[in-house]
Amino acid sequence: MSLPPMILDLRVASPDRRPVHLWLPLFLLWPFALALGVLALGVALVADGVLLLRGRRYHHYTVLLARSFAVLGETRGTVIRFSNEKTAIDMTVH
Amino acid sequence: MSEERSRILSLLAGGKITAAEAERLLDALEASKGAAAEPAGPPIHGDPGPLIAALPRYLYVKVLAANGDNVDVKIPIVLVRSGLKLTSLIPPLAMDKINDTMSEHGMSVDFSNFKPEDIDELIGGLRDMEVNVDAKNGDTVRVYCA
Repeated sequence: MSLPPMILDLRVASPDRRPVHLWLPLFLLWPFALALGVLALGVALVADGVLLLRGRRYHHYTVLLARSFAVLGETRGTVIRFSNEKTAIDMTVH
Repeated sequence: MSEERSRILSLLAGGKITAAEAERLLDALEASKGAAAEPAGPPIHGDPGPLIAALPRYLYVKVLAANGDNVDVKIPIVLVRSGLKLTSLIPPLAMDKINDTMSEHGMSVDFSNFKPEDIDELIGGLRDMEVNVDAKNGDTVRVYCA
């Protein structure tokens, strides 16, 4: 399992302004995300149990939620760059 | 010496089979051993690191618009793989809506039919994939893996 993204490196530059370089600490959000995730997993587990008892074919909300967190964790290394005559934006997930 | 081979030779020594029959049996034995030991692909000698490194790690999307807007996106392949695998878990009702919306926009892809083996095949195929679009208005789009 890979580590979740820790830093969002954001650079914004334009000809008429000072360039901005921000290191956004995503790791500070992870404790909150973890708390929310545990809460949501509990709700999903109950929902899946009810759906299973009712005989519904789809009862995978818990797995869906867990995999969604795994997808978030795989975002490390994503780079998005946008530029035109007025602005250049560079966003990297570390 | 293997058990089968010594048995054939003892049958020959006991005079129960002729030399020609023993030869045929030994040939058949060798052939069956060769087929069983044949590897699925060419053998890999030495460090497999360079081969692993040759696999694509990122999906690149580059858009150069005629009006000067440029977009450059680099996405890890593992993210693409995880995202595609996630589609198999989306609730059917939500998946129907996604499919309907995509078909309204000219992309008739049914994500509910995606299976894990299809995803692995798709990811493997990305290595050789390159999409180049040159629009009439001068926009260019390039999608490739490296």
